[in-house]
Amino acid sequence: MKTIKLLLVAVIVSFTTMAQAQTAEEIIANYFENTGGMDAWNSLKALKFEGAVKVQGMELPMTMIQTKEGKQLSVAEFQGMKFYQGVFDGQTMWNTNQMTMAAEKSDAETTANAKLEMNDFGDPFLNYADKGYTVELLGNETIEGTETYKIKLTKEPTMVDGAEVPTVAYYYFDMDNFVPIVIEQDLLTGPGKGMTGQTKLSDYQEAGGIYFPFSIVAGAKGQPGGQEIVIKSVEINPEVSDEMFAFPEGK
Amino acid sequence: MKTKHILLGLCIASLSIPTQAQEIALKGKELFGDITARQIGPALMSGRIIDMEVHPTNAQIIYTGTAGGGVWKSQDGGASYAPIFDDHIQSIGQVAVDPTDPDQTVWVGTGEIWTRNSVSVGDGLYRTKDGGNNWQKIPGFENSERISGIEIDPNDGNTVYVGVLGALWSDSDDRGVYKTIDGGKTWDKVLYINNTTGVADLIMDPSNPNTLYASMWEFRRTAWDFNSGGVNSGLHKSIDGGKTWKKIHNGFPEGKLGRIGVAVSPSEPSIVYAVIESEQEKDKGLYRSEDGGANWKRTNGDFSLTVRPFYFSRIVVDPKNPDVVVKGGLSGSISRDGGNTFKSLGNMHSDIHDIVFDINNSDMMHVGTDGGVYRSWNGGTTMEIVSNLPLSQFYHISVDNAEPYNIYGGLQDNGSWYGPSSSPGGIEARDWTRVGVGDGFRVLPHPTKEILYSEMQGADNVWRYDMKRNYTKNVKPLPAKGSADLRFNWNPPMATSTHQPDRFYMGSQFLHVSEDMGDTWKVISPDLTTNDPKKQEKNSGGLSADNSGAETHTTIFTIAESPINEKVIWVGTDDGNVQITRDGGAKWTNVVANVPGLPANTWVYHIEASVHGEGTAYAVFEGHARGDMKPYVYKTTDYGKSWKSITTDDITMFARNIQEDYENENLLFLGAEDGLYITVDGGLNWSKFTNNFPATAVHFLDLQKQTNDLVAGTHGRGVIIIDDISILRDIKPEILDKNVHFFDTKPGTMVEEGGFGGGSTELEFVGPNPGNALKIKYYLKKRHTFGKMTLAIQDMEGNEITTLAPGKSKGINIVSWNYASKSPKLAAAKTFAFGGFTPVRVQAGTYKAVLKKGKETYETTFEVKNDPKSFITAPERKEQYETSKQLFDIQEDLAYMVYQTNVMVNSAQDAIEANAKAAKVAQPLIDDLNELKNTLVVTTGDNYVGTAPPQLREKLSTLYSDVASNYEAPSAAQKENINLLLERFNTAKADFEKIKSKRLAKFEKYLEKQEMKPITFDTKEAFLDSKE
Repeated sequence: MKTIKLLLVAVIVSFTTMAQAQTAEEIIANYFENTGGMDAWNSLKALKFEGAVKVQGMELPMTMIQTKEGKQLSVAEFQGMKFYQGVFDGQTMWNTNQMTMAAEKSDAETTANAKLEMNDFGDPFLNYADKGYTVELLGNETIEGTETYKIKLTKEPTMVDGAEVPTVAYYYFDMDNFVPIVIEQDLLTGPGKGMTGQTKLSDYQEAGGIYFPFSIVAGAKGQPGGQEIVIKSVEINPEVSDEMFAFPEGK
Repeated sequence: MKTKHILLGLCIASLSIPTQAQEIALKGKELFGDITARQIGPALMSGRIIDMEVHPTNAQIIYTGTAGGGVWKSQDGGASYAPIFDDHIQSIGQVAVDPTDPDQTVWVGTGEIWTRNSVSVGDGLYRTKDGGNNWQKIPGFENSERISGIEIDPNDGNTVYVGVLGALWSDSDDRGVYKTIDGGKTWDKVLYINNTTGVADLIMDPSNPNTLYASMWEFRRTAWDFNSGGVNSGLHKSIDGGKTWKKIHNGFPEGKLGRIGVAVSPSEPSIVYAVIESEQEKDKGLYRSEDGGANWKRTNGDFSLTVRPFYFSRIVVDPKNPDVVVKGGLSGSISRDGGNTFKSLGNMHSDIHDIVFDINNSDMMHVGTDGGVYRSWNGGTTMEIVSNLPLSQFYHISVDNAEPYNIYGGLQDNGSWYGPSSSPGGIEARDWTRVGVGDGFRVLPHPTKEILYSEMQGADNVWRYDMKRNYTKNVKPLPAKGSADLRFNWNPPMATSTHQPDRFYMGSQFLHVSEDMGDTWKVISPDLTTNDPKKQEKNSGGLSADNSGAETHTTIFTIAESPINEKVIWVGTDDGNVQITRDGGAKWTNVVANVPGLPANTWVYHIEASVHGEGTAYAVFEGHARGDMKPYVYKTTDYGKSWKSITTDDITMFARNIQEDYENENLLFLGAEDGLYITVDGGLNWSKFTNNFPATAVHFLDLQKQTNDLVAGTHGRGVIIIDDISILRDIKPEILDKNVHFFDTKPGTMVEEGGFGGGSTELEFVGPNPGNALKIKYYLKKRHTFGKMTLAIQDMEGNEITTLAPGKSKGINIVSWNYASKSPKLAAAKTFAFGGFTPVRVQAGTYKAVLKKGKETYETTFEVKNDPKSFITAPERKEQYETSKQLFDIQEDLAYMVYQTNVMVNSAQDAIEANAKAAKVAQPLIDDLNELKNTLVVTTGDNYVGTAPPQLREKLSTLYSDVASNYEAPSAAQKENINLLLERFNTAKADFEKIKSKRLAKFEKYLEKQEMKPITFDTKEAFLDSKE
């Protein structure tokens, strides 16, 4: 009798789960709910990730900082030198030139596109509707051997080589737990243009009440391997200063 | 509340997993996990193109629909292309860009429309609404087989007309013009003639979307004949959006018509061209109308306008000039006087199927041929091939036993070739060697000599090619006195023997055998075919004769000598006989009647004589040349007395080839029209293999014995390899029940190579190499998403060598390790030293892979071996390893010394800043340390041409990097240099200690007196573990 009841419950519950997960909106809501709750996500002001990029058996320590205002930086250290990549203070984006080790500004288009991303702090899905983003559930797909919901996220159009193109990413949410495990996005510029970039997310762990992926593997769709970023710690609302993001004039 | 429900659901779901686990079928995407195919091209000869389309407003975007390689998109104005349709059937008839949403919405009609004998088939209509990322199959066209036209209303993207050419080999009602006004949800058939007549061309007037031209074509192919033309062919026009149609033949030739191509001038739509196949030579050719098709006048009937209409009927008008007309053809031709006279297009691969003009500049053209896409910048005079379209169409492939092994094969209209499975820098165009001309089919390497056999269509030539001497001899079997004329298939069968290396078989209607590599031949069978005269048509083509030999029928198509007993030989014929001899050809038995459920006279495409039993064989039959698209795959274990079907509903289209595994009899690979299928349970379940393996027609499979690589010859995407399929031998239901299962790791070989390679430019296709890395393979029952998971390599004492990024998919994961341990931590400096990127390679021996997942730890051990071909002795190898370690350690010692130096200098500077008086003791310390440091590391300059002279760190690093990345012991020069640098390091160490004892001691006393923070150093271990 007990078994029958249990099975009945299972059937009903899984039915409700299914029914609740019929729309993209609900899948995304479940994702935030299962990873800490909207309140926790909305209370984020800044995030600091410390970890390492794995390159040919080496681990380059790196730090990434993002703020709610849209400022960001990532810095890797090697042989006593610091390489800044994609540092942005809301106006100017800059990187370290690896030949001269000096800071150089990104081109105008890259900077303009970075401005569009300023509202993506935390997660692009966070309050996506308020940002004017649209989501669409494309269906179910098996990826990484796992049944997922495939959701198309459309953000503000990006400029690519002088022309406006839509910014679209595809997120695969694990049906079991509603967290994204794979993100795909067309490479719009550079030598990989026309290929699809694929990012695999795993090792979700809790930090300050929110679950973040602690392993991020970026590669090209259909190709084995990829480069892994291992997150070792996440600091919620760290102290930041404007100087950290500012272009170092004259240095 | 929602979360709780879900969590509850999860708990219960996980409770029920154990019962479900029993039923995990050996199939599906997760079965293959990370096993990924390797597409190696070649692209240098590319393959057949069917249709080209441009974006209406963005000249950067061009689409190419191919015969067997899917749809490719260029986003750089035709410089390079990338595939966007790999998940779907790869035979394309038509690509159309929606003019109302050109960036996003593209329609694809599948099934090639230039109906040669070897065409692949399509399975319907598709649409993307995001520029090619996701495709939706539009219901209603599942049986369309070939779609020749898609026209979209420029004012309303929901109104679309689709022209269906339809089935090539059978009657079909799925033909004609279809219309939707709701974006594809519902369709009306607005023009239909009968079940033998389809739409060859469908064109919308660009100035008036209600005006349409549809050319209807009566056509039919059989395995032995082709007919183009009939009373039902004709050109129709509608001016009311397809409601009514009217034949527009005023000025057309009399009698039966064949294929008609139509083009409307975009800049002056009343000018319409039609290229017409008709009964009489005198009225075939190009017709021009200046009143929208009401009246026609013949302008030209040259060869280039009338050649092979079924293959070349595309006409294209310059978007800016109604008098510039281009026509596909053997060479392609262009008219600049309204179609009155033509000249050939520039030199390129022959057989031109489609042309598009650049939207802004009509001097720029993109041309689709039997050998890829060409571009022209000067109106078609000079042509240049696109070098990154690996669309080669293999009929057959084979492999040899070289290291790395070579792949041999013949291509549709592109000769015969061989190339390596691996090459320094990747497999480039220059790695491929041509070994035949014309259409290439089978190429077989001699089992022991550097000789191969290749052929062209109908065995017009059978070449024995001496690869070393670059020397050929035609060894084709010929009729002798008293014998019948020989009938060779267009794709003539040949075979070699594993028992007698010089033995060489060929099949006409008879089986021919030579024991001296083709110099002398003996016929060892009667006519093994049905010899049915009805299937021996000599006048193929219909209205235009087309006697290429492609329709020669009642021939032998496959020959297989048993690898166990050379007297057992199997022969399969294109008209459905399976013949076996068990005495080397004296007596033959036709055993096809024993095959259950097989329609009579179904083409025997392949017989695979098994290594698992003398009487065991597999036969693949296919009936697509009479409209039967079902797979027929059978196995016998008793010399053909009985057969068992081993297909299931998992296989959705007809198959051509099967390859058995040499070890596990239940592991089989099937080449089908829509891709590759694999079974691990002898055919009870089949799974389609899709990891980097497009849904292209697989014509032939071979399994390389040393590497266990499955090599597929595809008809549209070149050679595709799945490296080392041996893991599939080990998949058993009990494994799938475990949370984590390590498969046996094959010993890794540290191949000693260090050459150069790579001569290709950015836009050339280069096939990836398999690499020499060790592969760690494991199965996960569930994807790892929450919590930590790591994978480390350890020695047998548990010391960590390195960490790897583990795969976390449900199913099979494969992680590569390149035998590298960690790289040394180098001293901080102003510039890079490249030794910091060089790891010490491990020594041969036994190692462990340790997988930690949550609280659980899983381990497997494996061997790492030295290159068996190496000339390096064990003591030399030891010296290389130990010297590398020595230099590794010295660099880290130096790094620690520089670290301490920096700590001291910083502290001294802080002290001076706090109190100028500190300078008395602090400044000498700073000066001495900086003087020393300037000799230890580079402190100025940059990483490029502003570089400073190298110091000890840089010199050590360079030397280390040379020694560690080599395999041999250090050279005499290196040893002397090591001594020199060691001496310098020891001096530096002494100087450093001196400064510490003299200057530092004083400074520390000062700090103590001032009650300032004393200097503390991290331990060396802590320093090495810390950030760089």
